[in-house]
Amino acid sequence: MERRTDWTAGVPVLLVTSCGRCGNHWYLPRAHCPVCGSDEFSDVPSSGGGLCVAVTRVHVTAREEDGPVSLALVELDEGPVVMGRVHDDGLAPGDRAAVEFRPDGHDGVLVPSFAQEGPS
Amino acid sequence: MTASLTGVGVTGFGRQPGPDSVEWQITAATLALADAGVDPDAVDTVITGYSTVASHLMPADLFAERFGIRPAVAFGMSAGGATGLAMLAQAARLVSTGAARHVLVVAGEDRASGQTREASTRVLAQVGHAAYEVPLGGTVPAYYALLASRYLWTYGLGPEALASLPVQMRAHAARKLGAQFQKPITVEDVLTSRPVAEPLRLLDCCPVSDGGAAFVVSAAPTGERSLEIAGTGQAHRHQHLSAMEPGSSGASLAAPRALAEADLSWEAVDVFGIYDSFSITVAMLLEELALTPPGRAGAYARAGAFEVDGRYPMNTHGGLLSYGHCGVGGGMAHLAEVASQLRHERGVSQVGGCEVGYVHADGGVLSAHVGVVLRRGL
Repeated sequence: MERRTDWTAGVPVLLVTSCGRCGNHWYLPRAHCPVCGSDEFSDVPSSGGGLCVAVTRVHVTAREEDGPVSLALVELDEGPVVMGRVHDDGLAPGDRAAVEFRPDGHDGVLVPSFAQEGPS
Repeated sequence: MTASLTGVGVTGFGRQPGPDSVEWQITAATLALADAGVDPDAVDTVITGYSTVASHLMPADLFAERFGIRPAVAFGMSAGGATGLAMLAQAARLVSTGAARHVLVVAGEDRASGQTREASTRVLAQVGHAAYEVPLGGTVPAYYALLASRYLWTYGLGPEALASLPVQMRAHAARKLGAQFQKPITVEDVLTSRPVAEPLRLLDCCPVSDGGAAFVVSAAPTGERSLEIAGTGQAHRHQHLSAMEPGSSGASLAAPRALAEADLSWEAVDVFGIYDSFSITVAMLLEELALTPPGRAGAYARAGAFEVDGRYPMNTHGGLLSYGHCGVGGGMAHLAEVASQLRHERGVSQVGGCEVGYVHADGGVLSAHVGVVLRRGL
């Protein structure tokens, strides 16, 4: 399978996969639609906005030197739930959230990071 | 299905430096075979759970050689925290089809003493997606903390809603020899313990332990204490949190499969063993199994529903939260405890007149599910 050109490859975008047969949407790479088994699907860039459904402040991290980090689950407007960092102490479940891409991952890699959606 | 659980063996859990993973497996296997009244050389099949400390390509061969047996069939299995029950389910299939007579299922690990906390956290975090989750800096407690945050928000609850579950597990452990933590705790203690991954605090999380557990699964009973493995059921719907379908992790599929095979319904079940790696784990499992209404597992705990004399006597050994968690063996201790209950050998913690037990384990992030129905022999 081809590596997707999204944030995991350094391209600041969240890709959502859309099944051509049943319309199911998902986030992590898969060879088949888990609902209908189809292998006909396409990647669509997400708007990066959605509903924050969970936030955690992680105090005990895998690498002591990292210090505490915050993570969130955001249900994208396109459907799937994605995990990201948080760069807004005020972000809480129930808030509208918007993504940015920041070099905050292990060894400075680009990762999705969420904050409350600003007034548009 | 015709499969008998003829023997169980569980060591004490805790920080107990000295033995390595295979030595814990040997101790547990010795206990289980003695319990079954089965000679080591009568074992024709060995299934061994993985150890994170002593990762090995051939854990069953490694164990069998050191234990001093030469089985016809031996293999390792890994399904995270569900491994122990998945091995038991596989053993039951092997004996019920005539492919094996006595299967020794064994796991053990010096998970607390054999590695640093950092190493343990890092290894376990690999249940996260290597490209999409691990680089964010998450840990297993962080993944479950996200589930807890969503749960509390969904039902409009505060963190105290989950705190009664670890308090109940500790009360059970106080009455169980071999438990890692026995000093009673309060809701206040849970809420003021140090934050690990908010909203989860230290006492919402199971400890890391050294210890082992083993089962003997046989084609026929070896005595009156043998139990019937009446049904097993599994479900594997995702690996990663980012692929989990909210409200349908797989628990609600595995349990009905096990109950259907046993031709029983929840009303018949007298005693429970439900995986409790975190307070949120056991809450979500109880609710997805439809034993308690959504958002109410903690309230049920507060009301004593999981006490020995409650509506759903559960984890009467103290669970992972207080008996301890040595990896694969941790999820096997629930089944060993339910077996002791069904044999009516639990003394002060005996659930009166119990005949049928249900045990459920999950691995990963509510990823792999195995349910087992045990029935007291006639």
